Amino acid sequence: MKGFSKQLHKLSSVFAIAGGTTLIILITLVVTSIIGRAVFSRPVPGDFEIVAVGTAISVFLFLPYCYLQRGNVAVDIFISRMPSWVQRAMDILAAVLFGFIAGLFAWRTVYGFSDTFNNEDISMILGFPLWLAYPFGIASFMLLSVSCFYTAIAALREPDNE
Amino acid sequence: MSSVQLALIGLAALIGLLVIRIPVAIAMLTVGIFGYVALSGFDPVLDYMKTAAFWQFASYEFSVIPMFLLMGEFASRSGLSRSLFGAANVFLGHRRGGVAMAAVGGCGAFGAICGSSLATAGTMARVAIPELERYRYSGSLATGALAAGGTLGILIPPSVALIIYAIAVQANIVQMFQAALIPGILGLVGYLAAISIWVHFFPESGPVGARASTAERLQALIETWPTILLFVVVIGGIYFGIFDPTEGAAVGAFGAGVLAFWKGRLDLGGLVSCIKDAAKITGMIFLILLGAGFLNIFMALTGVADQLSQLAANSGLNPYLILILLLLVYLLLGCLMDSLAMIFLTIPIFWPIMAGLDFGMPEADLKMWFGIVTLIVVEAGLITPPVGINVLIINHHAPNVPMRDTFRGVTPFLLSGLVRVALLILIPPITLFLPHLLL
Repeated sequence: MKGFSKQLHKLSSVFAIAGGTTLIILITLVVTSIIGRAVFSRPVPGDFEIVAVGTAISVFLFLPYCYLQRGNVAVDIFISRMPSWVQRAMDILAAVLFGFIAGLFAWRTVYGFSDTFNNEDISMILGFPLWLAYPFGIASFMLLSVSCFYTAIAALREPDNE
Repeated sequence: MSSVQLALIGLAALIGLLVIRIPVAIAMLTVGIFGYVALSGFDPVLDYMKTAAFWQFASYEFSVIPMFLLMGEFASRSGLSRSLFGAANVFLGHRRGGVAMAAVGGCGAFGAICGSSLATAGTMARVAIPELERYRYSGSLATGALAAGGTLGILIPPSVALIIYAIAVQANIVQMFQAALIPGILGLVGYLAAISIWVHFFPESGPVGARASTAERLQALIETWPTILLFVVVIGGIYFGIFDPTEGAAVGAFGAGVLAFWKGRLDLGGLVSCIKDAAKITGMIFLILLGAGFLNIFMALTGVADQLSQLAANSGLNPYLILILLLLVYLLLGCLMDSLAMIFLTIPIFWPIMAGLDFGMPEADLKMWFGIVTLIVVEAGLITPPVGINVLIINHHAPNVPMRDTFRGVTPFLLSGLVRVALLILIPPITLFLPHLLL
C-alpha cells in the first residue's frame, strides 16, 4: 500500500511538471509572438489557438497533483470540531464522491476523444486536430480517480496514519 | 415540482455538502450534474460531459490565470520582497510607526506583481517580521499590519480574484483591472493612515527606526527598478491596450522568471517547486470553474436567476439596502471560506439580483463598481476571525505573537477598509473614473 501511494505521488508530480513545462512553452510562444509583432510586424499566426489548447493540456495535467496535495479547498469550520471518526468518515465520503466524478469524466472524455477524432475537428486558423488534448484529459482524470479511491481505501485501512 | 423549487433544493444540497467538508468544486459538480440530469434526463448530460472539460479549460482568456500564478511564484522566489520592503523602509522607517508603514507599502508593491494575498502576506512577513521585532514594534501592530497589507494584493492588478470575478460576471478583464487601481491605492493610503492614527494614540507600539542617508535611499531605489519596470510594462501594457491580458500575463511570467534567474534564485529545483505550487492553485481554480459551469447550466435551466432578479426589482426595497445586505453576506462567508471559491459560488446568484436593481448606471459600470466593492469586503474576510487565512499565515511567521493579538491588531485596518467601502459606495466615480478615461 505504501509503495503504491509513493507511485501515485510520483506520477502526479510528473504530470504536474509536464503541465508546467507546457505552460512555460506557451508563455515563451506568446512573448515570441509579441516580439515578432512589435519588431518584425509578424506575430506567430494563430498563437491564441495553441495557447487555448495548451492551457487545457496543462490544466488537465495539474488536476491529480492538486488533489494529492490537498489543493482543493473546502469549508473547514464545522467538521474540524467534530470527533475524529466523523472527520475521517467525511474525508472518505469526499474522496469516494470525487473518485466517481473523476471516473465519470474519464469515461465520457474517452467518447469525447473518439467523437473529436472521427469528426476530424480542427482548430480554425492553424487547422491542427483538437483531439490532441483529449488523451491528456483521459489520463489525468483516470489518475485522479484512482488517487481518490486510493485515498478512501487508505483512510479506511490505516486510520492512525491519517 | 416547479423548477424554482428544484433550484432551492439544489442550493440547500450544495450548502449541506459544503458544511460536511466536501471540497467546493466537488460539491458544485455533484449538485450541478444531478440538477442538470433532473431537468434534462441522462442523455444530454452524458453527451455534454464528453467535451465539457476540454472546452472549459481550452480558453485563451482563462490562460491568464496559470500565467499570473506562475508569475507570482517566480516573484515570491526572486527575493523581490526584500528589496521592496527595504526601499519603503529607507523612506518611511524614521517616522513613528514607519517600519510598519514600510511593511504595508511593501505588501502593496509586491501585490502589484504577485496577485495573491496569501503569497504576499507570507513572503513579506518573512522579510519584515525580523525588522519589526528588531525595532521593538508591538506584536499586534507588526502582525496586524502584515496580515492587512497582504489583502491589498486582491485589488491591485494583476489579481487572480479580480480575473475570477470578471469571468463570473462576464465583465471585461481590462476594464476590471483599470477600475481596481484607484480603490487599491486608496486601500494602501487608508492602511497607512490607520497606522499613523494607531501610533498617535499608542506611541510605544511603533517606535521610530533609523533615518537613512540620501545615498542609501538612492541605492534602494536602484535595487527596485526591475520590479517597477515589470509592473509598469505588464499593467501599463494592459491598460493602454498594447497587450491583451493573456499577453500581459505571459510577459509578466517571463519577466519575473528571468528576474529570479538573474538574481541567482531560480535553479532547476526552484523552477520545479514554482511549477508545482502554481499547478496546485491552477488545478483548484479550474476544477471549480468546471463545477461552476455545471452549476450554472442547472441554475439557468431552472430560470431562478431571472426570478431573483425580478423579485429584487419588484421588492420595493432601496437598492442600496439590498447592496449592503449582499455585502454583509460576503463578510460573513468571507470569514468561513476561500475567497476565490466564494466568488464562484455566490456571483451566479448575487449578480442577477444586482443587475435587476436600478443604481442609475449602465450594466458595464455596475459590474465594475459592484465587483470592486465586493472584493474589498471579501478581502476583509481574510483577516476576520474565526478563520482569517492571512492571520494564520502571519502567525506561522511570528510564532511568539499570540493569535489574539494579531486579530486585535487587524481591527484598525478593518475599520479603514469599512471607511473605504462606504466611500466607494457613495462615490462611484472613484472606481469608474479610470476605465472611463482610458476607454
